[in-house]
Amino acid sequence: MKKVYKIILVFGTILLLGLISYSPLHKLARNHVNYITATEDHPISCNSCHIYNQKSGPVAKLINARYLSPLNLAVSNDGKKLYVVAQEANLLLVVDVNRMKVIKKIRVGNQPHTVILDREERFAYISNQWSDNVMVINLAGYRVTDTLNTGNGPAGLALSADGKSLFVANSYSSDISVLDLQTGEEVKRLNAGNNPAGAQMSPDGKTVLITSRRALIAPYSKPLLTELTVINATTRRVTDHINIESAYMMENVVFTPSGDLALVALVRPKNLIPSIQVEGGWMMTNGIGIIEQIPDGRVVQLLLDEPDAYYADPSDIVVTPDGKKVFVSNSGVDCISVLDMDSIRSILSESTPEMLRTFANHLGVSSRFVIKRIYTGSNPKGISLSPDGKKLYVAEHLQDRIAIINTENLEISGTIDLGGPRRITVARQGRRLLNNAGHTFQNQYSCYTCHPDAHEDGLVYNMASRDMGRNVTNTMSLRDIGEIPPYKWTGKNHSIYKQDGIRFSTVLTRTEPFNPKELDALVAYIITGIPNPPNMMFNPYGRLTEAQSRGKIIFERTHDANGNEIPVSNRCITCHPAPFYTNKKMAYVGTLSETDDSLLFDTPQLNNIFASAPYLHDGRAETLEEIWTKYGQKDKHGVVNDLTKNQLNDLVEYLKSLRDPLYEKRIPEVNRAAFKFN
Amino acid sequence: MKHVKVLILLFVMLMFVVSGILLVSCKDKSMKGMIVFTQVPEYSQYKNYQTGDSWRYVPQARIVALYPDKPTSFRLLTGDFYSARSPEISYDGRFMIFAGQLKQNGLWQIWELEFESMEKRQVTYFQESCIDPAFLPGGRIVFSKSMAFDSTGAGHALHTCNLDGTDVRRITFHPNADFTPTVLSDGRILTISSQIYPEKECPMLMVLRTDGTKYDLYYKDETDELICTRPWESERGNIYFIRSNPVKGETGSIFTIHRNRPLHTCIKLNNEINGSFNAVTPLKSGKLLVSYRSSDNNKYALYEFDTGTGQLGKLIYEDPKYSSMEAVVVEAHQQPRNLPSEVDLQVKTGLLMCQDINIMDEQSMNAVHSQKKASQIEVLGLDASLGIMNVKEDGSFYLKAMADKPFRIRTLDKNGKVISEPCTWIWLRPNERRGCIGCHEDRELVPENRMPLAVKKSPVIIPRHITLAGEKEIELE
Repeated sequence: MKKVYKIILVFGTILLLGLISYSPLHKLARNHVNYITATEDHPISCNSCHIYNQKSGPVAKLINARYLSPLNLAVSNDGKKLYVVAQEANLLLVVDVNRMKVIKKIRVGNQPHTVILDREERFAYISNQWSDNVMVINLAGYRVTDTLNTGNGPAGLALSADGKSLFVANSYSSDISVLDLQTGEEVKRLNAGNNPAGAQMSPDGKTVLITSRRALIAPYSKPLLTELTVINATTRRVTDHINIESAYMMENVVFTPSGDLALVALVRPKNLIPSIQVEGGWMMTNGIGIIEQIPDGRVVQLLLDEPDAYYADPSDIVVTPDGKKVFVSNSGVDCISVLDMDSIRSILSESTPEMLRTFANHLGVSSRFVIKRIYTGSNPKGISLSPDGKKLYVAEHLQDRIAIINTENLEISGTIDLGGPRRITVARQGRRLLNNAGHTFQNQYSCYTCHPDAHEDGLVYNMASRDMGRNVTNTMSLRDIGEIPPYKWTGKNHSIYKQDGIRFSTVLTRTEPFNPKELDALVAYIITGIPNPPNMMFNPYGRLTEAQSRGKIIFERTHDANGNEIPVSNRCITCHPAPFYTNKKMAYVGTLSETDDSLLFDTPQLNNIFASAPYLHDGRAETLEEIWTKYGQKDKHGVVNDLTKNQLNDLVEYLKSLRDPLYEKRIPEVNRAAFKFN
Repeated sequence: MKHVKVLILLFVMLMFVVSGILLVSCKDKSMKGMIVFTQVPEYSQYKNYQTGDSWRYVPQARIVALYPDKPTSFRLLTGDFYSARSPEISYDGRFMIFAGQLKQNGLWQIWELEFESMEKRQVTYFQESCIDPAFLPGGRIVFSKSMAFDSTGAGHALHTCNLDGTDVRRITFHPNADFTPTVLSDGRILTISSQIYPEKECPMLMVLRTDGTKYDLYYKDETDELICTRPWESERGNIYFIRSNPVKGETGSIFTIHRNRPLHTCIKLNNEINGSFNAVTPLKSGKLLVSYRSSDNNKYALYEFDTGTGQLGKLIYEDPKYSSMEAVVVEAHQQPRNLPSEVDLQVKTGLLMCQDINIMDEQSMNAVHSQKKASQIEVLGLDASLGIMNVKEDGSFYLKAMADKPFRIRTLDKNGKVISEPCTWIWLRPNERRGCIGCHEDRELVPENRMPLAVKKSPVIIPRHITLAGEKEIELE
């Protein structure tokens, strides 16, 4: 046979086989995608799950990228340099403002958070949230010269007026380290609110304010209170715990130049109201708090939102040196709100207490003091003014860039590229979506609002599925959930696609659902990009303490104290096996309330459980102990009533030691995170 | 020679392909950039907001088109209709929908015109007239339909349907007349709504979702002037419309409100211009396309209008025999959000929760019959009371009402005396969950973060004589 006919025959046969097998193969693929996505029209693209969702290996290395993610920054005294915390890259970047480029990269600890400079600008202090320390950087040679141990999760920093003490907000241990900068030692540990974040020294050097992000834990239906801690900087003692009502997520605080007022950025959630609509501010509102710095000073809250437009996730707040303008970074809507301070003062002076109470819930009041909204790149977080107040620098967290705003004409005058990866990966797009309120009705809130740092906000919501008042549910963390379906407390959603697909838009966001590409990106980020922090507080080295070891034995036991065999279905280890401490199945543990519709609940994972209070599906247990001391008396949630109190304590200590399996692997980055620097 | 033949063949094929592309792209451009507008021989200042007469139903209207820079490009698009008006352009710029009346005294129906083929297709086939169509995202349209003999007392109600006329769904259920729906960028529908029963009220701009849920006040004029044209939202978030007071002989003026705060941002734009406006459409350039006449003796003509200076710009078109209005530009434009729906037609009821019936705005506080605290509410149907129920100590109530039936609520003291008069008509779509803060409350208030006592128990079923709704129970999540 001629060669050409042989070739035609071969190709023809292949084509024929392809045509024959296409239909059943296509049907198989279609059914598979339909199942995973719980829709019938998601495009068939193997890349979506099998490439973009790779967490490790050569494919993951190829498709993912390591971004800088600038979080906070400080400006040098002469305004010529910026010191930028690159959170994801574990770097402190030194930026030359005139040349508009990075001139130095200093390697710091794990997940750096805040940077401040001393008055003489000899040293910079940077908190490393996942290394439990503060690094001291000599700015002459850009070298780390000292590492100071702190509490768990250091975030906000405030330097004393004399430069001798450093106040550190420990966000995970919910306390404040006072460091003596001459000795490098922690000299005091003070109590703070829940998940403290921002720290600020008053202009007169007498007071330090520490903001909290999470509300104080309280039974559902009780008013929400979030603490602003007041510290006497001289005596280094807490002098007041100001409870800010109906607000939380106070990320940062600033004083006016005269020191008469302190301003905080905050969110006012509506978790006690059935989540039945978004219109009219029924889920979240966003604003500022104003705290008068006089004895019994008023605490006033004003909304930044407008009746049909919301400015989600206010993050940082600064006041110009002349005290006239306030800038707030609304990270959920990529904008900076500019406020007129004189108008705010007028509101304070002219309004009755009743009016002020109303203003905290009034969407029209912002028209009295908001001058402008300036739109920036993705997810603006930390902001800092030049010493003369003429420029505002904005850390565009998910843009790897610094925006420069002219504070006189209120326009963006330029941007500084920090040199992050040029390509935007699918997972990075997903991260942007998670942090942006553009997919909720009128931009009222983002995923970040209820899941800050992709964790959970510690609140319990009335999701109102069957009737209002029913199905009160505790927010769950998004960290490391890629391998532990199903999702939702009732376990109804077998994939993240289903969890965040059309149902999500119908009952939560109340606006157009994510399109397939956006959903792919969001899923890719959730699956590949959200690790737990290392458990520095209870298990930093992977070596259990004696109490934790005893607790592990109890956790894994098969017989009770009297020698009776514990049924397999009621053993801790059955439902909560390593490495994620969930068997991914539904269970009944005797915690059903009369307002629950579901009998069974999805078994949650337990890694970093110490950081997820309150507990149980409706958040009724304020501590881990209460799971059994108050709500486990019938031994339906494991057998514990035969234990002594000490044994229960040991069990709880063990639970607190549970950590992300990532940290069991011995890779350089993990080791650096897990061990304290010396 | 063989090679030459192959080359010639390839060349000819290439020419075919290129010509095809050119022809298609030429056809694409045939209507793009044209202004489509309505012309009417006689324009009446009088408008009946209840029936639509002399306002929405206009005899011998016609839809025409032209390029703004080429008056000679004028063409009549609806020559086969007795009357046609209210053109709207699809999001891809390829189609137009309009309301048309084939014969005098015939019914008005919704029609679609494809610009490429210039073919028209009837969309609706009702026994009642349908007017004022608008495109919805997701391949549907919304329009206003006459409701003769309707159980809800409606004069004209909004409906949606697919572009092929199937799957018709009614979305407003009150004794009002709803006209000129337009779709906002956030996906909601804005409509001019006038109450018919029990009292006639002035028209207001009301907003609702595309499934008929979350119906609420959007803008209300506090003067004697009436909104008289379809409102349009610009890309910058300004909503434009015309207000006039024919009773006082005041002619139409251009007003704008901002979508972020519609109730309190109303500005008049034509302070220095005498004469009358009767239609306005925003352009992508930031200017407006307006219909204007300098005196009652003239016909309305089309002009550009500069919002910055408040001055009329160039004349686009004028016709000595016809007034020109309702101009739209044939071009692709941003599609609004496609909102999801919580409506489930298998469910017969909806839920309504109020946080505190004693929360009122200042105006309502001054109008109450008594300074006593309200402790009961009475739910009023179209013809009868549907029942009285107690509210909780915190002023909250929680009820389950039959879906798609209008009702109003008034507050009573513990002795049954009326404290505040009924609110506007409310309806709940099947499976809708709705919340309000108070009774006649300030529309810019958000709820206090406080758990209403009423939701700790099951909802009270309205009407009170129904003890069991007997419906399929569903779970939203």
